[in-house]
Order: sequence, then C-alpha cells, then structure tokens
Amino acid sequence: MFMRFVGFIVIILVVPPVPVISCSHVTKTFRRPLIPLRHLQERLMFPVRKRREWSVDAVRDVSLQVAPGEWIGLYGPNGCGKTTLLRILGGLLAPDSGSVERNRDISCFFDLSVGFHEEHTADENVRMYILLQGMDAWRTHYVIDAVRSFADIGDHWHLPLKCYSVGMRMRLGFAVATAAPAELLLLDEVLAVGDQDFQKRCWQHLLGLKRLGHSAVMVSHSMADLERICDRIVSMDRGHIVSVRTPMCASS
Amino acid sequence: MAGTYSLAQMIRIVWVMGWSDFFLKYRGSILGYLWSLLAPLAKFLVIYYVFRPFVSDSIPHYSLYLFLGIIVWEHFTVTTTRCMSVLYEKAAFVQKLPFPRILLMFIVGWTNLIIFLTHLLIFVAFALFTGKEFSVHWVFVPLILLHMTLLALGVGMLLAAYCLRYRDIAHLWGIVTQVLFWLTPITYVYRLESPLLKTVRTIPDMLRGAALHNLFDVFVQFQPLSVIMYDLRRVTLYPVELSAPSIEHLLGVTAVLLVLFCAAASVFRRRSAHFVQEY
Repeated sequence: MFMRFVGFIVIILVVPPVPVISCSHVTKTFRRPLIPLRHLQERLMFPVRKRREWSVDAVRDVSLQVAPGEWIGLYGPNGCGKTTLLRILGGLLAPDSGSVERNRDISCFFDLSVGFHEEHTADENVRMYILLQGMDAWRTHYVIDAVRSFADIGDHWHLPLKCYSVGMRMRLGFAVATAAPAELLLLDEVLAVGDQDFQKRCWQHLLGLKRLGHSAVMVSHSMADLERICDRIVSMDRGHIVSVRTPMCASS
Repeated sequence: MAGTYSLAQMIRIVWVMGWSDFFLKYRGSILGYLWSLLAPLAKFLVIYYVFRPFVSDSIPHYSLYLFLGIIVWEHFTVTTTRCMSVLYEKAAFVQKLPFPRILLMFIVGWTNLIIFLTHLLIFVAFALFTGKEFSVHWVFVPLILLHMTLLALGVGMLLAAYCLRYRDIAHLWGIVTQVLFWLTPITYVYRLESPLLKTVRTIPDMLRGAALHNLFDVFVQFQPLSVIMYDLRRVTLYPVELSAPSIEHLLGVTAVLLVLFCAAASVFRRRSAHFVQEY
C-alpha cells in the first residue's frame, strides 16, 4: 500500500502534466497581390510576369506549450505575429504547416467589441455571444447575471448597443469575455479598458481567475502588465520567438 | 475549428439565432414583417395581371398556382443570397469566435423557413378564401419543405464557400437568378409525366435537334426547383387531378437533394477554414 502511494507521488512529480494547449513548428504566411487583381480588366492589363506579390511570414516555426494554470504573455512590436499566433491557437486561422493540439476548452477574446450587434441590446448580445461559445443552457442565466453585475452599465442593459459610449462597450466586452471563462483564455489586448476604478476590478478579476487555476495566453504591448500576471513572457519579432523569460514578480 | 459542440448545443444555437435574426431583420422599420410579404405580393400582382389572360384557361386556380410558385421562388432566392451575405453581416463573430461556420448556414435556413411558413399560412388563408378544399395529401408538405431547405442550403453553401474569395459570385448569382426565374415554371404551365424516372429516359428524344429551346425544355423539366414546385402544387392544389407523389419519386428526390446537400456541406467545411484571412 505504502509503495503504491510512493509510486503515485513519484508519477505526479516526474511525469509532466499534459499541456492545456501546444503548438509545434507552426508557420503562417499571408500573401496578397501588390496590385489588387480582383477585376478581370486588371488581370488583362498586367501580364503574369509583371505581377508582384506581397507576402509576409507572420509566424515562422513557432513552438509553444501552455501548462495547466500557466499564464503566458506574448510581447513584441506591431506586426510581429502575436495576434496571428493567438488566432492559430484559437482555431480561427489554419496554419500553413505545423500542428496545434488543444486539450481543453478555450475562450477567445480578440478585441473589445467581440462581435456585438449594434441593434441588439446588451442582454441579447451577451446571450448570443455565450451561445456561440457553446455554453450549456443551464449556465446561461448565471453567466448573464455575472456579466451584468461586473459590467455595471446600469439601465443601459436593455438599450441597443448603438446607445452605448465606447467605454461602456469595452466594459461589456471585458465582462463577457471573462465572466464564464473556459480552462484556457486567449486574450488579445484586453486591459485597455475603462477608467482606473474599472481597470482595478479587471486586474482583481484576472488575478482571481489565475488563482482558480485557469490558464491563459495573453497579448499586450505593455510589458509591465504582462510582468504583473504572467509566468512566462514570450517576445516575438518578425514571426519568430526571440526570447522567453520568467518575470520575477509574477502574481501567483 | 477549436472547441467541440454537442448536437444539442448546435441545435440550440440555430434555433435561438434563427429566431433572433427573424426579429432583427425587421427591427427599426415601420412596416416590419410586412416587408417580407410586399416583395412577393408586388411580383404576384404584376405577373397575375399580365399572364392571366393567356394561361388561366390551361391552369385551374391560376392565382393560387402563381402565388405558391412565387413564395417557393422567394424562399430559394432569399435563402441562397442570405447564405452569402450572412458571412459579411456576421463577420465580427466569424473573425473572433471559433464556432463551426456551417451553423451560420443552418441559421439562415431556419430563419427563411420561418418566413416561408408564414407565407404558406397566407397561402392557406388565400385558398380558404377562394373556396379551395384541403386534402389529406397535405401530409406530404413537411417532406417537400425539407426538399426546399436541402436545395436552397445546398446551393447557398456552395456559393458561400467561394463568395469571400471570388467577389464576383454575388454579382453572378444576381444574374443567374434573373434567368432562372423564367426557367422555373412559376408563371406558366408545367407537367411531369409520372413517374419521373420514366420521363428521364426521354431526354435523348427531347434533345434531338440540339436547338437551344430543346435544351431549355430539358432544363425546365428536370431542374430540382421545378420538381419541388410541381410536388407542392399537386399535393396542395390538385390532389384529385394529379394524385399524390409516389414513394419512389419522393425517395429519389430526397436522395438526390441529400447528395447535393452533403457535397455542398463538405466543400463549405473545407473552405471555411480560410474564411478569416479572406475578409
């Protein structure tokens, strides 16, 4: 009995946990004709040999693993491939080569509007969003209550979105994205939200999610933000991973 | 696509979003739902006025015949066109959430089926008003509605699969539907010698001479929309004169449309992996 217990402990300590998500040797290239040859007349005007193509290797041979409970920050200048990598991890873009293995449910949050419809009310938009996330019916009611109390937009809840200020939309977006997160969150620039008071609540919420054991891949231009919450910060440049470091003060 | 959706979740998404789109379509307009009725009604009145003197002798209950043809046609064209436009309207969702894209097609199919059912209710009221009696052959109507949905979504998915890559498709489809309107027996008489399989064997004879009008004859005779329209008319308007469709006929049509639908769904699924970068 004792030996079985010891064996169990050894297995836990030695065998690494299955990553929440992993990608290996992922490459993605975007190609566009330099002169847009959408129309037949343009195709006839420009002979094949004179046509030039713009292409960018948005992500080049990137491999990444996210362990359970780990928060990874993606950092780098504009156009370095952070968002493309995030979209590939989320399954929105298919990589040209390489593979992605997803072992847990994913919540995606790619910008602060999350696809809201202007004519729908907040209530309808939130229902639509969590429905498309594939959430079970019995959870819907609780999640809507959570979003409503977190977004704190008062009587606007039953008004069409076109009546909202930019700040209100962002608050609603953040609340929706994080109210009922899956085990893995993919977050793209989510912290540029609202006033200072709301930002403070956002931070508390994100740190709470981390304490609960959710994992995340988070894109940001602010190194200070990433250092505050992430366990590893991956710096990218021109589609490559150029460095991986562990911040000293990551909140646990 | 990332994430796994159970069948129950997918049905719920289609059900809820289909209704939501139905109500959203008319939100903010004064006439609301009436807009979905005014377009076929205007078409009906003009065609009825122009064609009635020529065809009312050969087609009994011509007003009902024409009305039914027009609402089936409207269902087909609106559904196929919406399959393409929904990818633009819901671009924000497509670019941000990794749900199965084919659900968008089913949402379009469901919304337009709701609209068609309201049109069919008006047809029933119209038929009652003109003193038409109802037969037990109406039991075939749900199967014919399934045929209509399979055809419209099958064609719609094929168009939607390529409409982001080739922006010409939406324009081309606008022209094709104009031509197809006259190559579908909406306004004029159509008869299908039963059973359908026996008629198919006469195609070589029909094509003899290879004149353009022979080709058109064959096309009008066998295109799926003609067959669907004929089936719907014979079970609702002419149950005594034309009798009910045979089991072989219904199974054959269902099989052909299912093959079209499955092939289109497979193409759409394959192509949908590239949608985000084609916007």
